[in-house]
Amino acid sequence: MGRYLLRRVAQSMVTLVLATMVVFAGVRALPGDPARALAGEENDPARIAAVRAKYGLDDAVWLQYWHYLTNSLTGDFGTSVRTNIPVAEMLKSALPVTIELSLLSLSVAALIGVLTGVLAAVRRGHPAEWLSNAFALLGLSVPNFWLGLMAILYLSVALAIFPASGHVPFFEDPVANLHHMVLPALVLGTGLAAVIMRQTRSSMLDALGTDYIRTARAKGLAERTVIGVHALRNSLIVVVTIVGLQLGALISGAVVTERIFGLPGFGKLTVDSVFQRDYPVIQGVVLVTASAYILINLLVDLLYSLIDPRIRVQGEAA
Amino acid sequence: MTHPRLVRLLGAALTALALAACSSVGSDGSTSGSGKRSDDVGGTAQGVKQGGTVTVALSAEPDFLDPTLAASLYSRYVFSAMCEKLYDLDKDVRVVPQLAKSMPQVSDDGKTVTIALRDGVKFADGTPFDSEAVKASLDRDLTNPQSARVSELGPIASVEATDPTTVTINLKTPFAPLTAVLADRAGMVMSPKQLKAKGDDFGNDPVCVGPFKFAKRVPQNSIELAKDPNYYDAAKVHLDRIVYRIITDGSIRAANLRSGDAQVADTLGTDDVPELKKDAKLQVLESPSLGYQGVTFNVGNIAGVGKPTKTLNQPYAKDPRIRQAFEYAIDRQALVDNVFNGQFDPACGPVAPQSEFSSDAVQQCRKYDPAQAKKLLKQAGVPVPYKFSMLTSNTPATLQFAQALQAMVKQGGFELKIEPVEFTSLLDQQDRGKFQLLQLGWSGRVDPDGNITNFVGTGGSQNVAGYSNPALDKVLEQARQSQDTEARGALYGQAQALLQRDDPLIYLYRQRNLTGVAKQLSGVQVYSDGILRIAFAGFKS
Repeated sequence: MGRYLLRRVAQSMVTLVLATMVVFAGVRALPGDPARALAGEENDPARIAAVRAKYGLDDAVWLQYWHYLTNSLTGDFGTSVRTNIPVAEMLKSALPVTIELSLLSLSVAALIGVLTGVLAAVRRGHPAEWLSNAFALLGLSVPNFWLGLMAILYLSVALAIFPASGHVPFFEDPVANLHHMVLPALVLGTGLAAVIMRQTRSSMLDALGTDYIRTARAKGLAERTVIGVHALRNSLIVVVTIVGLQLGALISGAVVTERIFGLPGFGKLTVDSVFQRDYPVIQGVVLVTASAYILINLLVDLLYSLIDPRIRVQGEAA
Repeated sequence: MTHPRLVRLLGAALTALALAACSSVGSDGSTSGSGKRSDDVGGTAQGVKQGGTVTVALSAEPDFLDPTLAASLYSRYVFSAMCEKLYDLDKDVRVVPQLAKSMPQVSDDGKTVTIALRDGVKFADGTPFDSEAVKASLDRDLTNPQSARVSELGPIASVEATDPTTVTINLKTPFAPLTAVLADRAGMVMSPKQLKAKGDDFGNDPVCVGPFKFAKRVPQNSIELAKDPNYYDAAKVHLDRIVYRIITDGSIRAANLRSGDAQVADTLGTDDVPELKKDAKLQVLESPSLGYQGVTFNVGNIAGVGKPTKTLNQPYAKDPRIRQAFEYAIDRQALVDNVFNGQFDPACGPVAPQSEFSSDAVQQCRKYDPAQAKKLLKQAGVPVPYKFSMLTSNTPATLQFAQALQAMVKQGGFELKIEPVEFTSLLDQQDRGKFQLLQLGWSGRVDPDGNITNFVGTGGSQNVAGYSNPALDKVLEQARQSQDTEARGALYGQAQALLQRDDPLIYLYRQRNLTGVAKQLSGVQVYSDGILRIAFAGFKS
């Protein structure tokens, strides 16, 4: 286990450094720079030059990268070119929002997805399966932004059940916080729920056709135990992998969802800072997102090896 | 962009195309639209109670909350409740005193401007407001390397604190726009104590004189202001708190207004306005803007803006008749009617009609005449249709406008290729002169000089056309130096004639400031400068 872990961590570090390099070069390849974006419609060359000088944008690119890397290691991400607010502070305020949104969406997705998936597999050929399938098809094909707008239009404007947008920090007022989070989590979770549903359904169908299930049934185990303990547990391996892989999609979905619902999270921060060419913010965001993504994949791998010991053994042997 | 909106935009674009193709509307430029609307800039607070928090849905995030460094328009919305200026505007776009006691005294040679200040005023941190504070703020505006105020403040030689309530500004050359400039961010006075404590980070915790003071900012999300007990006219302030929430999508801003999550929303989309007007709980304020939207020809920007210019080796750059033909091919009224539901106004020049410097000469306009356009193209000896490309930003409304324009100028013998790019890329290409025609506008300033000289004057920092005309430069310089409103107005009339002859920039339309306000709120005002004035509003009792 130790060697496997070590190897995976080393791989992750290389991925992380590569990710920062790609993004660093990528944002600089875009036309315009933070100084120009900041000036907006007012084009004063002297001022643009002063801003460039202040943020070291005139330095050689490798030098800028080196500063970014070494400063990041000490936790100094610089300050936003646009607002002069320290990037670390911006990340600190945005991170909890996105984590909460992701966790809530994931819970929503897992709950709906696994339940409907199992239902569709067990009640094969029944209306319950058709309904579950219809739901999955809708969940997959309806775009996030449309669903979000419809939710606002019907649940906020017409029925006034949930607020249309905004955010209250959890520790300030947990009830208001959740009230604001319901719609975004539902909207973001729906697509993922559909993916989970389809995956659970097909894995369950595979599992239900296997010999050990027949054996379990032959032993006279209750159907609930057969499905819940034997079939579902084995099906979940694939589902957990899919969920891990879908986290990337969840983060990119969060970009849209956060913008629609005005949630001050990572997605919104990323898009806004790319439009503003706010290099320090983009770099900070990417570093944290890439780290999180890599960490999650690492955890999924480890979780995977806990659920199915064969993987760990193969990993050790390699 | 949203689905319903996409459908609506496509529908409107198709209508515009169809109408333009028939060339049957507004051929004299005087059809429906502008006549049907009336301005509503809002009134003062009536029958309001004390207290309450107002939520404003703001269309873009302000940049620095630092009057010296701020470049974004949206910072001005927040400043208007928090940082008072030496001068302000009234609803008729005339400059009036705010922190100054009266209008400035200008010496006969126009080079010395004396400003008397209000007594007994305190900053939000309790320190006294005096001439030293004004001097400190102006000096910072003039000397901070990252100041966005240097070019607008013009030829200031020095600032003196003559006595505690008098400031004297010495100019190198007479500069009439100064008073109007001091009615914007350059006229905001910052607390010297806070400036000393925070330096370049002043904007993270700004302290000025104002009805409200800075309370909190959540990056990308919101800015909160709280009532300032130190304000000299505190009796006029009714609200406890103002929360500006950043909501960039127009239809979501409108939805927040309708659901009651926000009580004010700026820059409404022209396609959302009819629906909002039907809502009994809401009203829509509208005022004509001081800015303009137009298309700029790259005539001489070969090496980047600010660098020496040279006429481009392109027929349209060498021969003004082609540019004039392009103007003849545009029916401005039909454009605004079809693309913006008639909610914006056609514009022919850089000075808005509500300006005190406006006149018939300033508003003179080339009438829509596609036959004349074709005739001029023929005289210029270029193949018809004449092909060239237009750089434009990729926002839905801009694209829709570009497509309608494309369809329209076809009648006049032009084949326009649209090149949409993202906004910052557009600015970059604009600066480097990598365009033939460019669609972009200007938010507008009170003094006409701020809307003309930088854009078409030789060497102007925003002269992206690379245009140079010594005769025009002379007229603009005279207008800058004259203190006489009438004389200046006449000079801007001459400038307009010169501009029309060369057409480096074709002015097309003026936006209107469309602001949604809940009817439970009284005292919200939006004048021509577009700034949201909410500090003295209150909830109706």
